[in-house]
Amino acid sequence: MKLNLYEIKNVSEEHADIYYAGMRPVIKQLIDTAKSERPVLQGRPADEDQDDGTEVILDPANIYYLDHIDRRLFAYTRDGVFRLMNTLSSCEEMLWNYGFVRVSKSNLINIYKVRQLKPDVNMRVYAFFDNGERICVNRSYRKSFGEYLRKMRRMQG
Amino acid sequence: MTERIKQYLGDLFCVYTIISVAGAVVNLIAGTKTSNENVLVMFLICAAATFVLHLHRLFDGVSPLVMIIIQYLAACILIGVILLVASALTRPVTLKGLLEYYRSFTIPYIILAGLYYYRVFSETRKQEELIREIQDMER
Repeated sequence: MKLNLYEIKNVSEEHADIYYAGMRPVIKQLIDTAKSERPVLQGRPADEDQDDGTEVILDPANIYYLDHIDRRLFAYTRDGVFRLMNTLSSCEEMLWNYGFVRVSKSNLINIYKVRQLKPDVNMRVYAFFDNGERICVNRSYRKSFGEYLRKMRRMQG
Repeated sequence: MTERIKQYLGDLFCVYTIISVAGAVVNLIAGTKTSNENVLVMFLICAAATFVLHLHRLFDGVSPLVMIIIQYLAACILIGVILLVASALTRPVTLKGLLEYYRSFTIPYIILAGLYYYRVFSETRKQEELIREIQDMER
């Protein structure tokens, strides 16, 4: 995408014009950013020893996957694991355009962080991430997972 | 619940139609005939096998391979019960007949399980390609 930036010192109102061929997820992300509506997740380190009470702002692009365990939601990033205050379904809705898709009752994965998708001999399908971890794509969610990928691919033109 | 019953009946009728037509074709080619009892037992076996396959949601926690094996064993038990009842109500089923029933159930089951196995692998490969394309376009 070509980006033109113009610095005008005495502009009365800062504005951005976006020329797009189709409303792709990346365009929606730009709109969210311009409107200051880009979703950010607030979390605290899952490790209690590291938790000093301050909240950490998490960019969805840095999250590998979300895991819901014992009524708690955790975000797995390269920098560590963070506990979130959101619900899994609200994250699913909020992060749809950011590559997050439900693959089981308790997991949302970021497809931009998936290194490999591989079935094992037991026919379980796993998504492998850059950090070496893996998440099982549950049989019941496989169809919706495929539909999500096709839709994302179509939207990207 | 009603939705599930409708879905089950729809699947059962499809399965029975396919098996029935395939059976008729085999009979035409081989020049064999089937009895009324056989037709009824075939329908009951279809009903039992479809029922067992419909229970797949109960096995979400286990791997598909384990699920296929469990479902096969469950279907075998159900078919055994059906054949015992049929044997008591009509003529007794001989050991050869019993083995024939199991063979004619096992062969399509293994073929379909193989197809399912293949589908999982090919679908995963396609999905991985889609992920690569989406990632490449975003860069």
